[in-house]
Parts: sequence; structure tokens; C-alpha cells
Amino acid sequence: MLRLNQLDVCYGSFKALNNIDMTIGAGELVVLLGANGAGKTTLFNAISGLIKPTAGDMEFEGQRLSGRKPSAIVSAGIVQCAEGRKLFPQMSVAQNLMLGGYVHRRDKVGNRQRQQEMYQLFPILAEKKDQPAGSLSGGQQQMVAIGRAMMSRPRLLMLDEPSLGLAPLIVRQMFETIKQINRLGTTVLLAEQNAFAALKIASRAYVMENGRLVMEGDRETMLGNERIRKAYIGA
Amino acid sequence: MNLFLQQIINGLTLGSIYGLVALGLTLVYGILHIPNFAHGALYMVGAFMSYFLMVDVGVHYWIAMAGSALIVAALAIICERLVFHPLRHSPPIHDKIAAIGILLFLEALVQMFWGADFRRMSSPFTGILNFDGLIIPEQRLLIIVGALTLVALLQVFLRKTMTGATILALAQNREGAFLVGIDANRVAMMTFGISGALAAIAATLYAPINLVYPAMGHLVIMKAFVIIILGGMGSVPGAIAGGMIIGFAEAFGGFYISTAYKDIIAFGLLVVILSVRPQGLFAKGAH
Repeated sequence: MLRLNQLDVCYGSFKALNNIDMTIGAGELVVLLGANGAGKTTLFNAISGLIKPTAGDMEFEGQRLSGRKPSAIVSAGIVQCAEGRKLFPQMSVAQNLMLGGYVHRRDKVGNRQRQQEMYQLFPILAEKKDQPAGSLSGGQQQMVAIGRAMMSRPRLLMLDEPSLGLAPLIVRQMFETIKQINRLGTTVLLAEQNAFAALKIASRAYVMENGRLVMEGDRETMLGNERIRKAYIGA
Repeated sequence: MNLFLQQIINGLTLGSIYGLVALGLTLVYGILHIPNFAHGALYMVGAFMSYFLMVDVGVHYWIAMAGSALIVAALAIICERLVFHPLRHSPPIHDKIAAIGILLFLEALVQMFWGADFRRMSSPFTGILNFDGLIIPEQRLLIIVGALTLVALLQVFLRKTMTGATILALAQNREGAFLVGIDANRVAMMTFGISGALAAIAATLYAPINLVYPAMGHLVIMKAFVIIILGGMGSVPGAIAGGMIIGFAEAFGGFYISTAYKDIIAFGLLVVILSVRPQGLFAKGAH
């Protein structure tokens, strides 16, 4: 579904991503593990078209992504739910969700229906739909962010550290929801530092260090790997 | 009592015009974070376009207003495409210098065609309404009603339509807007177009009770800046409220203190408010 081929990203002379090869198949839930500064967000922003790769190719469902505008990439079906959520803080929850459906704005009926589905996925959002998104708690804001991304009807949903700064109980619910989204047919690429929880729901994982992918494997291999356990799970 | 009500009418008139100009300025500031100094020149070109369409082409006031709004909207979009868009990765000071460049260019251009003379623009609304001693010229009533209608329409557009919401979305979180697939170019052009049209309509409404000349935008744009600083840069309700505050301060200050000082009042108020609330009265980001 998504294929990255020898992707490089540079910030000036600093090479933030180095020779990234990655393949994600339709229906998979793939985890991207890595410490702060490893390059996870840079990779996501390169796929989303927010920053330009200096070398390499990106392909999605057989179409080249390189050089496309962020809006074209959302239309193609790759949607990112960014770290820090990037909500529209003074707009209501309902408006945030509505704007998530921006690329499908001609399909008003479909957008409304999808919005109802999001309220079913996150019932608390239905209660808070008229409140400004910025006034919600961190966990609720994360729900708005995921809901808004889902409103764009992604075929590949990229989630950048959705558990960041959330209470453990909320984190567990968040991972349950992500699993459910994947089961309903959306391919998911999940960047996480919370390796144990993420690996529990994932089928496969990549490990990123200093802008390189240093390891790849299915869930069992990763959970059994001594280095992963030491570096990311702490057990 | 009537004199007091009279000042309320004057305050509403001035506040309406200032509010319309400030709205365009604040919308552009909200999405591009540049103070568009050329906005006053767009206002001035709006008045000249209406004057030209009425006097030289001979169309009706309303048609002149619509034509001028379209022409200035197009002019604002051209400014965005030719000047601000190519500068989008440059330091902000470049945008500011470019905006001043556009201002000087447009003024010189208008002066080349029409000269520096003061002109009077007529309006079909020359009657005067008398409500038991309270005198309201029709044109002032038109300004107040017209501005309120436009503000209401703009609010509906920004808050109830998907297209309008993209302007606020881009102002509130630029990256968030990209992530939902909003095209920044499209929104920038739309915002410039709206801001140009608002400036042209404000100028066409105000010109019949004022004069038309190449430097007419200076004082208006200075006051519009005061207004958006008062109301919070990028805030739509702040621009409307700020416009009314300045309009009323001028009307009442001009009447009860001295008309000679009415322009100083706006700037005096700015100094006072900024020393008490440096973030502006309604500062809460773009909304």
C-alpha cells in the first residue's frame, strides 16, 4: 500500500532521515518505535507532504507521492493525526470534526454520517460537541484529533504519539480505539515510545534510531528481542 | 438629549466604516501574520473605482459599489499572488516592506490618472430623516445598515460554511489546516479577495460624506491598525468591537472636547489601553 524507497530528509546539513525503506500492506497496523528525536515526526511530515524529501521515492497504492501538496496527499487517502494534536482551539468540537471532512466537502450526507460514527466511537465528544476544542482535557483533545483525522476517510492513518501526556487509563482506551479503527478496515501507522502497549496491538514494527530504520520484525520477534526490551520496554 | 443621540449616530457611522476596514486587515493578519500596510491603498482605490464608474461610466451607485468591490478584490488577489506569495518563505520584514511598496505604488498610480485633487462623490441618498429633532442623513443610515449587514453575512460565512471556516482554521492552526487537506494558496487568495472587497465597499459607503483623494487611506488605515491592536490581532469580533470603540470615542470626543482633537483621541486611547492591557482587549488568538 505504502512504499518508501531510500528516502532522505535534510535540515540544512543535518540528515534527519537517512535511507528509509519501508513497506506497509493494506490492513496492517504497523508501529514505528523510536526515542525522541529519532526522526518519527520528520518521517510522518515527509509522507504528509509538509516537508520535502531530499532524495528517494514515496509510493501510495501505485501512485507517486513525491512533490505533491499536503492537500493532495490527504485527498489520496493518507491522513496524519499529528503530535500535539494541531486542533483548531477556538472552534467547537463539531466544527473541528466538520473541517476534518474538508476534502469530502461535496459529500455533505457522507460527512454528516461519518460525524455520527465518530460520536459513536467517542461518545464523550457528542456531549462536548459545542465546546471549544481548546477547553477539553488532553485525552478528549486527542479523541478530537483522531476523530478529525478519521473524518478525512483515510485509507492509511498515521498517528504520531497519541499517548503522549495522557493518563495510563486513558492511554489504554486510546490503544483499544486504535485497534478498533484498524479492525474496521483502516491501515494504521503508529509512532510510539510506549513500546509495550503499542506492540500489543500491532502486527509489525520498525525501530528508528538517529534517522535510520535499524530493525524490523513482527510483533513476537520484537517483543522477544533483548535490545528492544532493554531500550523501549524497560523489562 | 438629541445632541447625545446625534453623537451615537455619528459614532455608529464611523465605527461601521472603521470596523469594515479593520475586518479585512485582521483576516489577512490572521492567516499570513503580516500587517498589510497596503490595505489603506486598497480602500483608496475602492473609492476611486466607484467614483470612476459613477462619473465616467455613468452607472448607478449600487452597481458602482459592486463593480468597485470586484475590481479591488481582484487587485488584492493580484497583490497576494505577485508580491506576498513569492515572499512566503522570507523573513517577515520583507512582507512589511513589500506592503509599503504596494501602498506607494497604488497611490502614485491613482495620482497619475486622477491627480492629487480632492473630489466629491455624489450618492443617490442625499435626503435627511428627521425623527422628532434627531437628524439622520440617509447616507449615514445606509453606512450603518450596510456595515451591519456585511458583518452579519461575514460571520455566517466564517462560522457556518466549510469554505469560510477554512480561513479561521488556517489562522488558528496552520499545520492542522494542512493536515485536513486545506490548500493554503486558495485560502490566502480568498482572504485577500474578501478583504479587498470589504475595503472597497467601506470606501464607497463613506466617500459621499467625505472626499475622494489619493491620500484618503492614510488616516483610515492608521485607525484600522489601532483597532486590530485593541481588539487582538486576527480576532474578528475584536475588529468589530474595536471599530465601534474608536468610532464612539471620536464622535463623543470630537463633540464634547474638540473636533480638532478627534484624530488624537483614537491614538490616545491606544496608548491608554495598551499600557493597561498590552495583549489587546479581546486577545485570544484568531476567532
